[in-house]
Amino acid sequence: MRVRMAWRWARVALAVGALGATLTLGSGCAAPARVYQREHLVDPIMSFEAQARLDARKMKSFEAREGSTGGTGGAGGGCACN
Amino acid sequence: MRVQLTRVLWPVALAVTACAALVARGVADELVDPATLGTLFRSFSDSGHVLVQSLMGDYGTALGQAALSLHVNNEHVRIPGISALPGSQQAIDAITTASRPITNNAFQDYVKVRNEVQGEVSNPRAAVNYYLSSEIDYLAQQLGAKYNRDLRDRRLNLAVGTSYGWDEIKPLPDADTRTAAGSKTTLHGDAVATQILSPTTLLRWGLEYNIVEGLQYNPYRNVYAGGTHVPERTPDHRERRDTFLKLNQYFSNRSSLKLSYRLYNDDWGITSHELESSLNQYITHGFAVSYEYRYYTQTAASFYRDEYPTTNGIDGYLTGDYRLNDLASHLFGASTRLDMAALAPTHTLWRRTGMWLNWERYFNSNNYSANILEAGVDLHFQ
Repeated sequence: MRVRMAWRWARVALAVGALGATLTLGSGCAAPARVYQREHLVDPIMSFEAQARLDARKMKSFEAREGSTGGTGGAGGGCACN
Repeated sequence: MRVQLTRVLWPVALAVTACAALVARGVADELVDPATLGTLFRSFSDSGHVLVQSLMGDYGTALGQAALSLHVNNEHVRIPGISALPGSQQAIDAITTASRPITNNAFQDYVKVRNEVQGEVSNPRAAVNYYLSSEIDYLAQQLGAKYNRDLRDRRLNLAVGTSYGWDEIKPLPDADTRTAAGSKTTLHGDAVATQILSPTTLLRWGLEYNIVEGLQYNPYRNVYAGGTHVPERTPDHRERRDTFLKLNQYFSNRSSLKLSYRLYNDDWGITSHELESSLNQYITHGFAVSYEYRYYTQTAASFYRDEYPTTNGIDGYLTGDYRLNDLASHLFGASTRLDMAALAPTHTLWRRTGMWLNWERYFNSNNYSANILEAGVDLHFQ
């Protein structure tokens, strides 16, 4: 049962990874974003990092209410149950 | 145990040392952010009348060629007293699922304080960080390191991170449980790729892996089993892994759409899916609003049951933790951010100030709901 679930997870993880890899490698053929074309990408409403602190706080709240974790690339422990 | 711990710590220690060396060396031609000072108030209240109030502070400054950031958090958690009559079923339910010790008077509110400190030294390539969280019955520490590198004309960034956390749990005296002091360790590793797909599109995908060892249940909680109630028991070992994909798209009307999906699985039998979206729009220069929606669903842990026929549970494990049951949840949120520099570019104080307000409404399939309110102010120097 456990092996089957792990295998199923591995297949979906591979599918997500393959999609990411396809988009990542495929973008080599897409229009390149030169340094002077990156104005919109560094806008705060586009940033992954600007939201990192908020995401870390959210994850801490969700960890106390749900059974999973992750999605932010690592954050601290502790359990004041919020 | 010492041999095992040393074996686990070696990779983390090596990664921390390597990243510390890279941070110390610095990258002279890349800029470090100016000094910032921020404060944040956060209020969390739920349908069980639990209230969590947090006051946080953040400081960041240049440190030679590197950057230093410090984060502090003082948190008050109030868990309400039991309102049912002594001896009634409702009072017993409240006690057996409590996340608080039951000592003299279970009918009084219980207040817990948590203090948190986090420090990070970083340069654009690498970072090392330390985290400490302290409560009366729980001490958590974590040491971590990150490294990233730009590739393909800075259109692709690859990042790897690792951390090692070690927690000490010393349960307070409790009327109906007798859990001895315990510990927990967490070894974490992640790999994240961020790719510029076009001048208006960003993609990020990553993998995370956590190995958790030690006490992983609520030491104050009992479970109904075989007609009586007995303390929770869960496995000491848990392997948790997830993969995520995030896409940010900018639109010409000065708005952006962020979409993300996360798949999680662990060896306790939980598999979860998370879908998240947010729409962000500038109303005017320096003033933006965001709307957010999140859907989450998970399967139950293999040893979770609503009722256990015997005190042996399932394979020797029992839990009353609803987080380990089937679960679905929704979250709606809205936030505003005001950058005063855009409105008062010449004013000495206002041009350095940013203010923001967040509100979130969370509810799940266990008839549980919560409101989260955050208000913050940031000041920028230099």
